[in-house]
Amino acid sequence: MNIGTRKILDRSFTAVGIGSIIVMALALMIVVVPIVYNGIGAVFFTGTVEHRKMLQAEFSRGDSQYLSSEVASSNRYRAKVYEMLTGFEAELETMAPEKKAEYQAKYSQVRTALQALLGPLPGDPEPMLTRFKYGQTRWEKAEEKLHDLLYESKWDNTNPDVMGKEYFVNRAIGFEGTSLSRLFPYINENLEKMLLPEFTLYWGFITDSSVDSHFFGGIWPEIQGTFFLAIGAMLFAFPLGVVAAVYFTEYARPGFLNSMLRSANSTLAGVPSIVFGMFGLAFFINTMKVSESKSVIAGALTLAIMILPTIIRASEEAILAVPKTYREASLSLGSTKWNTIATVILPAALPGILTGGVISLGRAAGETAPIIFTAAVSVGSAIGLADVFSSPTPALSWNIYNLASEHEAATQIRHVQYGMVLALVTIVLLLNLSAIVLRARISKKLKG
Amino acid sequence: MIKKLLLLGFFLSFAVGTAYADVKTLVLDGSTTVGPVAKSLATYFTKKYGVRVMVSESGSGNGAKSLINGSCTIAAMSRTMKDAEIAAARKKGVNPVAHVIAFDGLAMVVHPGNPVRSLSKAQISSIYRGTITNWKEVGGANARIVVIQRESNSGTQESFKELVTGKSMQITGSAETQSSNGAVKTRVSTTPSAIGFLGLGFVDRSVKVSAVNGVLPSIKTVKNGSYKVTRPLYLYTNGQPSGPVKQFIDLPNTVEGKAIISELGFVNR
Repeated sequence: MNIGTRKILDRSFTAVGIGSIIVMALALMIVVVPIVYNGIGAVFFTGTVEHRKMLQAEFSRGDSQYLSSEVASSNRYRAKVYEMLTGFEAELETMAPEKKAEYQAKYSQVRTALQALLGPLPGDPEPMLTRFKYGQTRWEKAEEKLHDLLYESKWDNTNPDVMGKEYFVNRAIGFEGTSLSRLFPYINENLEKMLLPEFTLYWGFITDSSVDSHFFGGIWPEIQGTFFLAIGAMLFAFPLGVVAAVYFTEYARPGFLNSMLRSANSTLAGVPSIVFGMFGLAFFINTMKVSESKSVIAGALTLAIMILPTIIRASEEAILAVPKTYREASLSLGSTKWNTIATVILPAALPGILTGGVISLGRAAGETAPIIFTAAVSVGSAIGLADVFSSPTPALSWNIYNLASEHEAATQIRHVQYGMVLALVTIVLLLNLSAIVLRARISKKLKG
Repeated sequence: MIKKLLLLGFFLSFAVGTAYADVKTLVLDGSTTVGPVAKSLATYFTKKYGVRVMVSESGSGNGAKSLINGSCTIAAMSRTMKDAEIAAARKKGVNPVAHVIAFDGLAMVVHPGNPVRSLSKAQISSIYRGTITNWKEVGGANARIVVIQRESNSGTQESFKELVTGKSMQITGSAETQSSNGAVKTRVSTTPSAIGFLGLGFVDRSVKVSAVNGVLPSIKTVKNGSYKVTRPLYLYTNGQPSGPVKQFIDLPNTVEGKAIISELGFVNR
């Protein structure tokens, strides 16, 4: 190969390298930007007066005097809407029966749309569920609901060969000639005055418990549950893993059993997490009975088993990477084997061991499958430290899945789901960052 | 110093919850259909009695298993326990007792753009058996029917078979399986030629409900019995309940409980 081709090969290799880094960065951007953008929307958003009413009633937060003045001003505009409704109801009574029935059906749709927008209307019974006690708390949702109120969605089925196409009909036209036709332009113009949208910074999203299955409130029980599970898993797996790694590297004699154990460990690292979940259910809950029901402790133990192989492998590598001269120097000074391990080898290997630990910690925080059957519930309040032995907990990973698939009103509370995703990503990132900082400090100490 | 304080604050924030430590926890597991009712009742219950209730939704079959294994206090189910499950429970010394908390109509749902308004039980059976594969055969557009069913673990699936197609019928192999009411709803609302079934409480405007034998499901038609595809929703306990468990089981029969159930779109007793 002459120098020319070599140079070209060299350059193209560099180009491929840079290219792949750019692709990776772009992919990361595509994944991370929507997560961050939508997730931040759970904390920073344009909240309406309904949101402030909810905060006052459920968490007694906010300036009640200012709120009551706001409510009074919004009620001034709402009163006109209610007036129009009662006016139309009176008009309905005077109509011919068949015309009345026709309008009644349309009118009940309008009422439903209005309830979604402004909360219960006068004359409605007081709802039991918090989700029906308030109108739209977020302005962007209110705008969607306004569209639902102004336009009726219909499906065009004129062509029998294909499925229908959606089109929108102005509801006002349906009420032409009645007193209600004035309602639609009025609401369209005055919605802002009725809902008083205002930039809102809702820190409570992180520190509050959820209200009415995640409709309002925050995700603190989930965040706390995630911490409990991840840290609990670490408490079991980290010491066990390091001890096992010491055994493998320092004490085990090479032989059939040893190599079997090692390959078993490597295989275990690749087992799908749901298998660990089923194992945890069968072993920790049904056989060992570590707790009466699902519990944090059962979940933490299951996660611990899942991350154990990774910790063992990482610790082994780190211990093997300690230069032989360290060991020889220590032994030559008359130190015992155990003393050498504890005072020379482990401290030197600590940065590497910690890296493995933290990667596993992130994984434990993010895994869903192992905790479905052992620890996670979809709704529950925050638990105390004393409850980890008896009580299950909501956790971010499971609740994200639950909100994405099972929740009865998943489409209405997407912002909560995004908020949870951002919280989980942030937690994992923070854990990793703290490990990097810790690692750097320890390395510095070792050098100095 | 500041760091230590921060650390202290961090741990204190976790310890705040310890005040509740002596409170008994009720653990509810089971049906995704009962899920919304169970969650809302739980929220109300915790507020009123200060007893913590943890709810998870993993399917009726899992609810039964959890009760048998003693890993939950109350199992929510959208079907009755099978003989095999009761036998397994007895073997473990668990005595499952059923409590009906609400009724639910099983709604056949299609995409809102689908012109089909009504299906007969026989037509639905044929669709799920795989003998009718095109919407044209039941008066719709010329499109292949995407059949959506629930997983074997689901009580809704069992009820559907029992009430509509007959227990012994083999559902076509091309049917797609979704694992929760919410997932079926999402799939149907995004697939123009899909058909699926949902608990009445899960129906919203993103899907269109088809009438069965000419009757549309609603709280009214389920209550007066004119809509036939209905089933009771159960809570199962181990033995006759007492204490907070009894309070919880009784909640659906109180005025407040009934209001909660009907607000969620289910039919109270």
